[in-house]
Amino acid sequence: MAKQTFTRRHILAATGAAAAVIGMPHIARAQNGGRVLVIGGGFGGATAARYIKLFDPGIEVTLIERDPAYVTCPFSNYVLGGIRTIEDITHRRDPLQQRYGVKLVHGEATAVDTNARRVRLKDGTQLNYDRLVVAPGIELKYDGVPGWNEQAANTVMPHAWKAGPQTLLLKKQLEAMRDGGTVIVAPPANPFRCPPGPYERVSMIAWYLKTHKPRSKILILDAKDAFSKQGLFMGAWESQYPGMITWIAGKDGGKVESVDPKSMTIKTGFGTEKGDVINIIPPQTAGKIALDAGLAEANGWCAIDPASFASRKAAHVYVLGDASIAGAMPKSGTAANSQAKVVAANVVSSLRGTQAPAAVYHNTCYSLVTPEYGISVTGTYRPGPQGVAEVPNSGGVSPVRADAAFRKSEAEHTAGWYAGIIADTFG
Amino acid sequence: MRRLPYLVAVSAALLAAAPVFAQQRNISDTALAAQTCNVCHGSASYVSPTMPPIHGVDATTLFTALTEFKTDKRPYTIMGRIARGYSDEQLKALAEYLSKN
Repeated sequence: MAKQTFTRRHILAATGAAAAVIGMPHIARAQNGGRVLVIGGGFGGATAARYIKLFDPGIEVTLIERDPAYVTCPFSNYVLGGIRTIEDITHRRDPLQQRYGVKLVHGEATAVDTNARRVRLKDGTQLNYDRLVVAPGIELKYDGVPGWNEQAANTVMPHAWKAGPQTLLLKKQLEAMRDGGTVIVAPPANPFRCPPGPYERVSMIAWYLKTHKPRSKILILDAKDAFSKQGLFMGAWESQYPGMITWIAGKDGGKVESVDPKSMTIKTGFGTEKGDVINIIPPQTAGKIALDAGLAEANGWCAIDPASFASRKAAHVYVLGDASIAGAMPKSGTAANSQAKVVAANVVSSLRGTQAPAAVYHNTCYSLVTPEYGISVTGTYRPGPQGVAEVPNSGGVSPVRADAAFRKSEAEHTAGWYAGIIADTFG
Repeated sequence: MRRLPYLVAVSAALLAAAPVFAQQRNISDTALAAQTCNVCHGSASYVSPTMPPIHGVDATTLFTALTEFKTDKRPYTIMGRIARGYSDEQLKALAEYLSKN
């Protein structure tokens, strides 16, 4: 009898609680889940949208994206190397809508009112939010290299640092170049999107040249004195492309002072270099909408809380991926994908009013030196007092000494990683 | 005991609204950490072409593999570097979570 009484009282309490929930508009909204807007449908934004829905299908998620399809920067160097096509690296976002119920809006976010919690699109549409996720990637600084500009980029000195037509333009120029020509690649100072990217690009250009125009040379004019996976890249270049690649550090005259698109020359502190093909990778900032929304610091990147990637500038806003200041994490697709899961958990927890889980972040960046020679860097990260910090005594790069089978295995995993991140991001 | 059918009916009614209550649960530290694996290893519904599936795999098998990667007792390309980012307790919790999800 006592047991029955207890049970009955328990049930009454539960139904009473349910009634109370329905009666309160604030919590009733939480019951509907709340409304989340995501700006940007790359690895960061699309993963955030998908995982919010996976954690809680009751939350309304709208993804705003300017471009109809996503051409990935990862693997775009393999288009240059001739081992992938642009179609291979182009992906549609439809599964997010069809399988997970993310509402896709094709448009460009042009303004954010963080007080009214409203986003305006180019066509005038206004969208309200309870939480906003900003994942706009990068903006290229066309005024960041004297003599270079958008017109030069679209004609004779492509950046190819946003994949798509720029990738194909650089590829066309490599194909048109004479055997024995010089390709110049000019990477920027830190921080920038994909730290190993310029050096993987050089590797893939070398692969193309070795197989098609073996008398050609590649000159890297670097703003930096060191770069990601440097020992691994330089060791591999020596064994795979002997005599083809020259890297000049910033301190040794690598820093570009100015360029002249007409004469296809680059002035450095030490002299003038002429290239048959010139790839300028310019300095960058967070994507324009992040700057326009007032989410960026004076340095052009967005400060965040390392435990959640919540913006330091505006409440109820999260900034993730390349646009964010992510401490020890590189600006990479895997990093953005990982940050997006932490953001999704925080968005869901804050809308529910529950405790958010402890953040842990992961990065893996594979690079191919040849189609059968892969190298990698990995890292595990947690929030720290100075920002996102790497867990001590973990992560790091591939072993310097490894046999061909090991390098081949990492090359195979490079392809496996790509298939995996596409599935994990778009569903 | 004669009230049992009534209780079952009420419980069923409450269960129908269960998602609302279920959603009030915290997302655990382990549940979030486990999602980081998906980027390479896939999910319950997607299997990677090159990396072994981990969802639904026996917890002891997973934990043994992770600790052997961590201590260089089993050959790896990147998993030793990754496993060293977690304590043994965290790896055990991850193995248990992944075995069930």
